[in-house]
Amino acid sequence: MKIQVKIIGPLMYAAGFSEKDVEVPAGTTVEGLIASIGLPPERPRIVTRNGCAVAPDALLAEGDKVAVSPIYSGG
Amino acid sequence: MYGWTGHILRINLTTKTFKNESFSEDFAHKWVGGRGFAVKILFDELKPGIDPLGPENKLIVALGPIAGIPAPNTGKAVVAAKSPLTGFYGDGNIGTRVAEHLRKAGYDALIVEGKAERPTLLYIEDDKVEFLPADEVWGQGTYVCNDWIYAKYGKGVGVLNIGQGGENMARYAVIRSLEGRAGGRPGMGAVMGSKLLKAIVVKGTKTIPQADPAAMKALGTGDLKKVGQIDKQTGWSIQSTTGVLPFCNEVAGLPVRNFRKTQHPLAWQVDGERCNDARVATYGCPTCTMRCGITILDKEGHESELDYENVALLGPNLEIFELAQVGSLNYLCDDYGLDTMSAGCTLSFYADAIDHGATDGDFRFGDAEQAKILLRWAAHREGKIGNLLADGSRRMARVFGHGSEDYAMQVKGLEVAAYNCKFIPGQALAFGVAAIGAHHREAWIITFEIKHTTRESYGPEKAAKVIELQRIRGGMFEVLVSCRFPWIENGWPLENYPKYFNLATGLNWTLDDMWKTADRIYSMIKLHFLREFPNATREDDYPPRVWFDPANADTEGPIAGKILDLEKYDTLLQHYYDQRGYDRRGIPTKATLQALGLDAEAASVSRVARLD
Repeated sequence: MKIQVKIIGPLMYAAGFSEKDVEVPAGTTVEGLIASIGLPPERPRIVTRNGCAVAPDALLAEGDKVAVSPIYSGG
Repeated sequence: MYGWTGHILRINLTTKTFKNESFSEDFAHKWVGGRGFAVKILFDELKPGIDPLGPENKLIVALGPIAGIPAPNTGKAVVAAKSPLTGFYGDGNIGTRVAEHLRKAGYDALIVEGKAERPTLLYIEDDKVEFLPADEVWGQGTYVCNDWIYAKYGKGVGVLNIGQGGENMARYAVIRSLEGRAGGRPGMGAVMGSKLLKAIVVKGTKTIPQADPAAMKALGTGDLKKVGQIDKQTGWSIQSTTGVLPFCNEVAGLPVRNFRKTQHPLAWQVDGERCNDARVATYGCPTCTMRCGITILDKEGHESELDYENVALLGPNLEIFELAQVGSLNYLCDDYGLDTMSAGCTLSFYADAIDHGATDGDFRFGDAEQAKILLRWAAHREGKIGNLLADGSRRMARVFGHGSEDYAMQVKGLEVAAYNCKFIPGQALAFGVAAIGAHHREAWIITFEIKHTTRESYGPEKAAKVIELQRIRGGMFEVLVSCRFPWIENGWPLENYPKYFNLATGLNWTLDDMWKTADRIYSMIKLHFLREFPNATREDDYPPRVWFDPANADTEGPIAGKILDLEKYDTLLQHYYDQRGYDRRGIPTKATLQALGLDAEAASVSRVARLD
């Protein structure tokens, strides 16, 4: 299934891209998607799906839009 | 006494006199510095009801016990006065070499009183004070003024100056320093202008007193390097604060079209990636190893230093998505010495008011060229519209009427920073109870709220988080005085700050001591407010009403159909008051004031307003 992935802030330099469609098998979790992108696991982050926070073990669905952002603190 | 110089320089512009005054160890320990000094001095020395733009108002520049000492990130000063925008205590912090130079000149604070006869530059060098004419640069922007000062005194001096916005007393005029830095959102630049004070230049050559200078130097300089190394690992300063823009857009928290919308498909055109791509230079404050000022070339080719707040409020909030044009609006604000946030919200309010028929006019969202003209009018108070714009959105709304007060995006008169809280209850509370009006500096809880709580919740956990952050951000960092960014953006441990404080002062403080100082300062600012507005109610702590209007709910996206609930917000506000020890009006109770050692201040306020 196709997932739209957006990487926010400096995490995009670790991922090597800021936005792209990623093809993953059915049954992939949020955590699985992040691992497949190759982001360093130790970096604190917030992950949203379709604009809402999502747990690492949540199952993804076709067409989901997942965004991964550092923990910003609002300047 | 170590850590503090123990001296305040009091300058009277009317009489062209100055006095070196000393303060006690008790004063230092109770108020620490920066915001603490400012809030106490202004409480004691200003009569309630004075005109903030009259000679009775006083401008304070206050430093803390680690200001100017090499350590993360101490090149900051607090500027404060009675605000012409909000009508009570106002302040801001500004990155400036004044932090180091004023301390080296032998002072922890500066009090500027009275009004000069003609445009004046105040020059302070150690024990010397000179009142010099500044007619040559009166009427000029901050960049020309800054160059003029550097040509006279060299680039290494500490500078605070104003542009035409301050000269003409636009109520959200700021003070500027170091080409790109600004501080004092609630009109501290207008207070300078009202005194005909164009600039303050400081040069100090003495030694800052410290209890253990060798240990402080070793720890402070070592930690500065470590903060820089951490920043390289995280990459935070590659996009600095502008990186947060796509996050806000993603979670429906971006101000678009005077906060009417929370997302926009073109927001990417002005996001952190684009800002970094357009970068031509990087600026930062003194003693900083994670410099955040991304500088781009604006539409006219000027260098314009961006951060998130000014990009969001002068960009998407005005539906302007061409980065160079956003840079132009930002440059003009910086040159005129206008607060970018209040300027952005005031312009967006004007466009919205026209849109909703509350007033006539031809300014439309998306019109960058007209926005440039309006900024010039505001900074110069040119014509009827310029005069209105210079007064900020709350006063404009009172003139326009027709319900426009509901969408003037401000709290207590200070315009909202660039986070759209249409459905972010905790951050709406943070704006509602921010000490000086809707500033993001004191508490920003959006990622906490979205990641660790239920977004829909109005529970006590959100009030507790706001208080925790106020103690850290609006309290400790504002009294030390030090930049919060190493901690908030790169995780530099908070426990380091009492270490710096103790090496400087020889005391043995913990973070709990810092929190008590912070609580004292928050209560004092409330007393300032009550003294000016004896009929204060809890509604003064409500965010803009449009955030509660179901007709304003998003029709698509993650918060479609959702909006803040007024009744529930009021419950959340009560959680905050209960945890703070405030009464139902949001005023500290007598018991709270007593516990914070504020009996004398309580007795003083009791003469003009009720305390429970």
